[in-house]
Amino acid sequence: MSDSLAVSSRLHPATLIARWLRIVPQMLIGGIGIAASGAERGLDRFAMFAGVAMGIGALFVVLAWWRFTFTVGDGEVVIEKGIVQRQRRVIPFDRIQDIAIEQRLLARLFGTAKVKLETGGSASDEGSLDMVGLDEAEALRDRIRRGKALAPHAVEDAVSAEPITEPVLFAMELPRVLVAGLFNFSLVFLAAIGAVIQYLDQFNLIEWSDWVTPERADQAAHLVTIRIVIGFVFIVLLLGLVAGVVRMVMTNFGFRLTRAEAGLRRKRGLFTLTEVVIPLRRTQVALIESGPVGRLFGWYALSFQTLGADRKEGGVQAAAPFARMAELLPILAEAGFPAPPPRGEFHGPPRRALLRQAAPWLLLVMLAGGVAIWIEPWAGVGAVALLVAFVFAVLRWRRHAHALDGRALFVSHGFFKRRLWILPFEKTQAIRLSRGPVQRGLRLASLLIDTPGASAMHNQAIVDLDAREAETLAGRLLALFYRARAATRLQPS
Amino acid sequence: MQTDETSDEAGGFHDGAALTALDPRQRTVLRVRFAVALLIPVIAVAALDIGPIRETPVPQGLAPAVMALLALIGVIVLPGRRYRAWGYRESADELFIRHGLFQRVTTVIPFGRVQHIDISQGPVERSCGVATLSLHTAGTRSAEVSLPGLTRTDAERMRDRIRAQIRQDLL
Repeated sequence: MSDSLAVSSRLHPATLIARWLRIVPQMLIGGIGIAASGAERGLDRFAMFAGVAMGIGALFVVLAWWRFTFTVGDGEVVIEKGIVQRQRRVIPFDRIQDIAIEQRLLARLFGTAKVKLETGGSASDEGSLDMVGLDEAEALRDRIRRGKALAPHAVEDAVSAEPITEPVLFAMELPRVLVAGLFNFSLVFLAAIGAVIQYLDQFNLIEWSDWVTPERADQAAHLVTIRIVIGFVFIVLLLGLVAGVVRMVMTNFGFRLTRAEAGLRRKRGLFTLTEVVIPLRRTQVALIESGPVGRLFGWYALSFQTLGADRKEGGVQAAAPFARMAELLPILAEAGFPAPPPRGEFHGPPRRALLRQAAPWLLLVMLAGGVAIWIEPWAGVGAVALLVAFVFAVLRWRRHAHALDGRALFVSHGFFKRRLWILPFEKTQAIRLSRGPVQRGLRLASLLIDTPGASAMHNQAIVDLDAREAETLAGRLLALFYRARAATRLQPS
Repeated sequence: MQTDETSDEAGGFHDGAALTALDPRQRTVLRVRFAVALLIPVIAVAALDIGPIRETPVPQGLAPAVMALLALIGVIVLPGRRYRAWGYRESADELFIRHGLFQRVTTVIPFGRVQHIDISQGPVERSCGVATLSLHTAGTRSAEVSLPGLTRTDAERMRDRIRAQIRQDLL
């Protein structure tokens, strides 16, 4: 089968069924809309629409399948597609950065897989073959790899073209995945459930105030409320726990990280099996995360930001979702990142940064406290909440720090959920120094080393440095960037 | 290039670093843009004056007059200050850009990191003879950094210089 790849071939016939199953619900929803908007409503009318939708869907899917061909030729993959508007895409092997194989549940039933050829360009589905037979997918990958390896500049890789067992860097057996699931019980998830329960609770309260007489409420306070509260808490905890375990097992079942020729190969998944190579050349930033409870037991997570990676994951690829620090460090070293220095070498922001980060909360606490004392006692609840926010801000200020070693900048953020970024000097894209109006008054500045694939929410900025220090650091990082670039150019990997 | 190489390590990051100012015509561009943007609230208040404000004891014509006066003050004062907040410095290997009146941001982009370069000219910019140079990097927050208020020839010269640098970096 793999020898006949040179001629153009079509996707696996099972694609027809999978696509059809995907397209029909969408068309049905449209059909229901049309049927509902019509004057006469009826089951037969609906059935007619459904039938037409299914028929059109099937026709469309068959046409699309028939008009989609791919050819693995001499050093390039050619994909031709389009029912009316034809598109011909040529992807040279040299440009293919990684080949991801993904098997969804349906694909696994048919013994097929989706092959994603990533080139580091901006389009997310540059070369997506959804779906081909699993053996064909593997043959395709080997062929592209071999084609790449035979390129003149990588002769030494040709030896490893034979399928050899790759050294395992990190693996998670089922017990570890289950334990990870218990810690996966996230606050965000709880907050979502909490919001729903709060909504229901509010709803109940409104009903109660209309319904319940004072003596009844008194009884209820003893009989129902405590039970309800305990029940709610129990359900919330249980749901959070179960959801965390389920989610963890679904994504990380059979987790294996191995050293492939060009990067780290990650295989995982319970229903949807995925296989991804995190290419080391495109790895930008390493991120070590830990949650408040997991950290107590010594559990950490390691991920890498990559250039042009899958948009869905925000350019962040998990390398070890649940591991001991001693397990993470070898992976970091393998990926060419320095280990974080001891905590003593980190520098935090100056004390006056508290004036910006925490003092506003304290002002609000006093304001709410004043309101509570003189006007409305209930404002006391707000004051307590604001006090918590203030304490949290101070704790966050204490944990925020940065350090430099010979190869990278380290930035740490967060009190409960802690994040430590490792930014190698040569990966800098731009350096950004910003001073807001309050920061200018306090002689503070924030410094951001911009890298590809960073998350918009949690970025690796160093917040509220002393302004002079920030300027000097920015200049130094720029100089270090040039030095590191020059060094990597002298000895290419 | 009026760049002076200071031996200070902070270099162009210095808040008081001597930077090249934009073309003075950019002031006009900012002023026109600002005036157009302020036209909307002025018209809105004028419309309210014909409608709901008539029902209140506020004398007719006062609200639009106050709004127009505020807009006029804004148009006179702010564009000049915003113009002065801009500055750039073109060194051998990188471009420093400083901007922002309230949030003052200094960005440095090493030429080797530039993915592609655009020169754009809107209608107002065209009539004033200035252009905007946009540098795109693979970064996240500073993925696109724009430098407006360059003369067309300056923008093209900078683009060609940066392009030559990118080619060198690829080799």
